[in-house]
Amino acid sequence: MLGASLVDLQRGIARALLDGAIDDVASAIGVDGIDPGARLRIYRNHALRTFDAALRAAFPVVCRLVDERFFAYAAHEFRRLHPPRSRRLAEYGTAFPDFLDGFEACKDLPYLPDVARFEWALNTAAMVRAVPPIGIDALHPVPPNLAGCVVFQLQPSLRYCASSWPIEAIWLANQREDVPWLELANRGASIEIHRSSEGVVWQPLDPGDFAFRTALVEGAALAAAIIRAIQEDPRFDATVSLQQVFADGLVIDFRILSETEAAR
Amino acid sequence: MTSRLSACGVGIGLRWPHAVEISALRPSLGLLEVHAENYMAETAALDELLGLRCDYAVSLHGVALSLGSAEKLDQDHLTRFKALIERVEPMLVSEHLAWSAIDGVYLNDLLPLPYTEESLELFCVHVDEAQDRLGRRLLIENPSSYLRYCASSIPEPDFLVEITRRTGCGILCDLNNLYVSAENLRFDPLAYLERLPTDAIGEIHLAGHHAAEDAQILIDDHGDRIAEPVWELYAEALWRFGPVPTLIEWDTNLPALEVLLQEAAHAGELFDARRLAR
Repeated sequence: MLGASLVDLQRGIARALLDGAIDDVASAIGVDGIDPGARLRIYRNHALRTFDAALRAAFPVVCRLVDERFFAYAAHEFRRLHPPRSRRLAEYGTAFPDFLDGFEACKDLPYLPDVARFEWALNTAAMVRAVPPIGIDALHPVPPNLAGCVVFQLQPSLRYCASSWPIEAIWLANQREDVPWLELANRGASIEIHRSSEGVVWQPLDPGDFAFRTALVEGAALAAAIIRAIQEDPRFDATVSLQQVFADGLVIDFRILSETEAAR
Repeated sequence: MTSRLSACGVGIGLRWPHAVEISALRPSLGLLEVHAENYMAETAALDELLGLRCDYAVSLHGVALSLGSAEKLDQDHLTRFKALIERVEPMLVSEHLAWSAIDGVYLNDLLPLPYTEESLELFCVHVDEAQDRLGRRLLIENPSSYLRYCASSIPEPDFLVEITRRTGCGILCDLNNLYVSAENLRFDPLAYLERLPTDAIGEIHLAGHHAAEDAQILIDDHGDRIAEPVWELYAEALWRFGPVPTLIEWDTNLPALEVLLQEAAHAGELFDARRLAR
């Protein structure tokens, strides 16, 4: 196989960079006046700093909630269990909130994974373009008997975060130098995030609207989304909520389900 | 598409914090270069780049294709790269004499290769494949190195030249990388330049570096003004290779745009002097 001996060398270098197994590969490096281990450590330090900095930049509030040293430990364990696989550094950290779910060392902070999910949603929404929305007038040509079969295409930056903890309040409090005291018990949050022409914006939603909008973003037809919302909140007002979805600039296109699709 | 601001062949690396200011000011620059991987998704950054594309020639600089890996090229990455090339219609497309990934793990660094017959053959197979898939001639950049492998049997410039001979690719001559490697591995950078064929040089990179704490190693961090010895190499390279498109790179400790434009203006003076001397 072409590259048979090269693959062993590259695996050794990878272990040296990610796991610190420098001695295993140092004999392959020329001295040239400086210890080979010191030469390898330059690459290792760069790799670790890069991945660590990427996580810190993506999760600044998580970092603040646990302190710098604990975050460095969490980042190390995350890197060990989830070696970087994406060639876009911006995607490193996708699995970090789920990793925190199972990370025993932060069990005392049960809201931490959901705060991480909120931060990741803010980050990823910021990178997605805002598409010019359509107005509710665009629905005029839809025959009334097919209104329930309308499927909306929504802003590609839309993200939804639900938590049994007040993650938005925690995030906001940690934007301040002096973090105020927060009541955490019995305060969940259902938040919608998207990128508008003005930048990333978010808002809390009541249970009916949260169910309605998450159904729409998942591709449910209008009738199915309304039913899901009513199941969540019997007082759900479909007309007002649909108008608000348009008023928030979230709809960028729509189509009507074919009979075959509707029958499924 | 031609640039109406291309009177000068010197440009800068476009970094996100400067994008809005560049869009507003439209400074006179020969080209803008971006890291291709930062624009491979449908993002606001891509919209900004496509907007600037009306006024500037663009160079797409890949940093993650990992042409030197002893495994198959990432086909999804090649597909994304090709789609970006079709959108941006870049003046230049470049990658590195390096490897970054093995067994699917991506190390986010441009790691040096041992220069052997085996790695030469592998690298050329990958350059051939990439050029076929991307439909473009690639420029391959010489790396900055902090180490040399005992197994290396071919001098780096000879290795690079042989790649161009076998694959038809060009060379992106990074003079900061050359200087950093020459200091770290104790070789003569001018002798290296003399080995490179003039007609293969498609672009020159200039950047800053810093000395590690013990001052024994230079670190290629693209985080400072261009050092005087690198300017001297640039003057030498211009005389050897002619007025080749030149780029100022700055990635860490990013300063105000004005500082990059000052560095570009200085390079432009040397570039214009060489062009007028033709």
